Amino acid sequence: MTSQDSTGGEEHHVPKPGPNRVLGLIWAGFASAAVLGALIVPAHILIQGVLGPLGVPSFDRHYGTFARALSNPLVKIYLLVLFACSFYMLAMRVWYVVRELGVPSKLGVGLFSFGLGAAGTIVAGYLLFSGP
Amino acid sequence: MSSGDVSPVRVEGEPRGTDSDGVSARMPARAVEPPVAYPFKQPLTWWTRRRGYLLYMLREFTAVGIAAWMVLFLVEIARAHGGGAGYQPLGGPLFIAISVLCLGLALWHSYTFLSLAGMIMRIPLGDRTVSPRLIAQGMFALLAAVTALIAALLIWGGA
Repeated sequence: MTSQDSTGGEEHHVPKPGPNRVLGLIWAGFASAAVLGALIVPAHILIQGVLGPLGVPSFDRHYGTFARALSNPLVKIYLLVLFACSFYMLAMRVWYVVRELGVPSKLGVGLFSFGLGAAGTIVAGYLLFSGP
Repeated sequence: MSSGDVSPVRVEGEPRGTDSDGVSARMPARAVEPPVAYPFKQPLTWWTRRRGYLLYMLREFTAVGIAAWMVLFLVEIARAHGGGAGYQPLGGPLFIAISVLCLGLALWHSYTFLSLAGMIMRIPLGDRTVSPRLIAQGMFALLAAVTALIAALLIWGGA
């Protein structure tokens, strides 16, 4: 919203009164995603990324066990939530950090980062729900 | 600086009358030339100046490591689309090294975010609230329990 001051000077920004509910929802989503990611992600990376390749049995080391797990709808939903949380966290962090590094466009960076996160989530959904 | 270096500012109208504080009497009513703004530009490497800034940027960077590992996991899921004959899980020293790096970043994210829980959450307990330290300790206990449960499920699924 813009307005002119009484002296006929140049236009200036008049902030909308009240809380910014959209930004509040974005932050609430980030807090939820970050807590879920903080609790769940380390176990997946530890087992599937480190111990699994070193010989510890993991559900993704063999096609049979991997396909059986991925065919379960609950596992699909769980993994989709995990991917969505991770990509949402990325979008939110990038949105802020890129601006703190000097890129001025809040809307442009927001569209890029959240677009990237949404694209990642859509790809994950497609792979999970069209697979075995 | 000599007086010749300063260009005079043209002023419309007369200076204002003297107020009780005597300040506005010295100010012109309206300057024609707009004031020059000098916006502060933060250097790109500001976050290298202090250890706290560096840790802050590292915390923000954890999301990149987590998302990168998730993309690798997606690659594995995409490979499973080809059927059992062509399925090859990700492995090898490079994958393990990347995973160790991503695990470090994920744990740093867990540590920093769950530590904040004590400051953010207010859990009423009678007339008082649960202490922030206890809440943070509870969150770390929850992290250990969830990690053990998921690890057990992932290993059980592969057995």
